[in-house]
Amino acid sequence: MSKTSRTLVTMPKVATKGEVISIRVIVQHDMESGFRHTQQGERIPRDIIREFVCTYNGQEVLRAELHPSVGANPVINFFTVATETGSLEFKWVGDNGYASSVTSQLTVS
Amino acid sequence: MRDLARGLWLTLVIAASANADPTGTARQSSYALMSPENRAMQDDPSQNPATFWVLDGESLWQTPSGKRQVACAKCHGDDASSMKGVAASFPKFVGSKLLNLSNQVNVCRQTHQEGEPYAHESKPLLALTSYIGQQSKGLPITVEKSAANAVALEAGRTLFYERLGQLNLSCAQCHAERSGQKLGGNPIPQGHPTAYPLYRLEWQSVGSLQRRLRNCMTGVRAEPFALGSKELVELELFLMWRARGMLMETPGVRP
Repeated sequence: MSKTSRTLVTMPKVATKGEVISIRVIVQHDMESGFRHTQQGERIPRDIIREFVCTYNGQEVLRAELHPSVGANPVINFFTVATETGSLEFKWVGDNGYASSVTSQLTVS
Repeated sequence: MRDLARGLWLTLVIAASANADPTGTARQSSYALMSPENRAMQDDPSQNPATFWVLDGESLWQTPSGKRQVACAKCHGDDASSMKGVAASFPKFVGSKLLNLSNQVNVCRQTHQEGEPYAHESKPLLALTSYIGQQSKGLPITVEKSAANAVALEAGRTLFYERLGQLNLSCAQCHAERSGQKLGGNPIPQGHPTAYPLYRLEWQSVGSLQRRLRNCMTGVRAEPFALGSKELVELELFLMWRARGMLMETPGVRP
C-alpha cells in the first residue's frame, strides 16, 4: 500500500544564469520514531521518511538521508546554482511504501 | 505588634511581586515573546506547518460525508471566506448548550451529515477547526458577556482564579499577576488564546486550546479536566472573553 502526503515548496520561478537560488521544502509526515510506546506498553512501529532527493533536469543536486531523530513535518533548506531553464523534481521515500514527489519549473535568463 | 508588623511586611512583599491582570492595550499575544524565526514561521504560510492542517481542512470541507453524504460546503458555501469571523465568536451558547468550535463542528456532523462525531484532538477535527479558524485571522475576538453566557463566564473566571494541584497554583498567579516575568528562564505569557488551534513545535503537531490547558494543569500537578468537559469549555469562554478585541492569529505557531 503506498502512502503519500502534502508538500510545500518555496523557490523562485525565475533566476539569472549562475545565480544561487534558495529552495525550501516541507513535507507533511508524523515521523514516528519507533522508540515510543502506547499507554498499554506496546511499541509503536517506526514510520519515517528515509530519503529525500532533488534532481534538476534529471541531474541530482541534493540527496539526504533522514533518521528517527528528525522531527515531524521535516523542513529541508538548501541552495543550488541556476544553470538552465527546466524543472526541479523533489522526491521523498519512506517506510510502509511512503512516496511523494512534486515538480517545480525554473526559468533561467 | 510584632505580628502586625510581620503581616504588613508580607502584604508588601505580595503586593510588590503580584500585579493586576493586564487589560485593554496592555494585553499582549505571546507572539510578541517569540523568536524572529518562530514569528516568520507563523507569518509565512509556506513555512507554517499548520498549513497542512488548513489544506486538509479545506478538502474535508468539500468532501461529502456522513449518512446523508453532504459536505460542509453544501450549506456553508465553499469559498474560503464563508466562515469569516466565526471562530472569533466561540465558545458560545447554541440553544442551552455552551459549545466551542470543535463541539459545533461535531454538532453539525451529527445533525446535518448524520455522521459519527470526530474524537477530541483527532486529525480531521483539528484540520476543520484550523481551516475555519484561519478565516478569522486578523479579525478581533467577539466574545462578549451576555445574559446567556453570564453564569458560564463566571464559572470560567472562578476556575481561572482557583488554586489547584499539588503546587496549589491558579492560572491567574502566573498568567495574570506575573505575566512578563520569567519562569525557568522563559517569559510567562499572559495566556490569551488568540492563535488556536496552533502548531506547537514541542508537540510536533497542531493542537487545541483544551490540550494546552490540560498541559498547564499537569504542570501544576493537578488532575486535568477531561477533553470536552464542561469546565474546560467554561475556561475557554472566560479566556476568549478576557482576550475580546484582540486579533486572531489562527493557525499560530508556538515553541
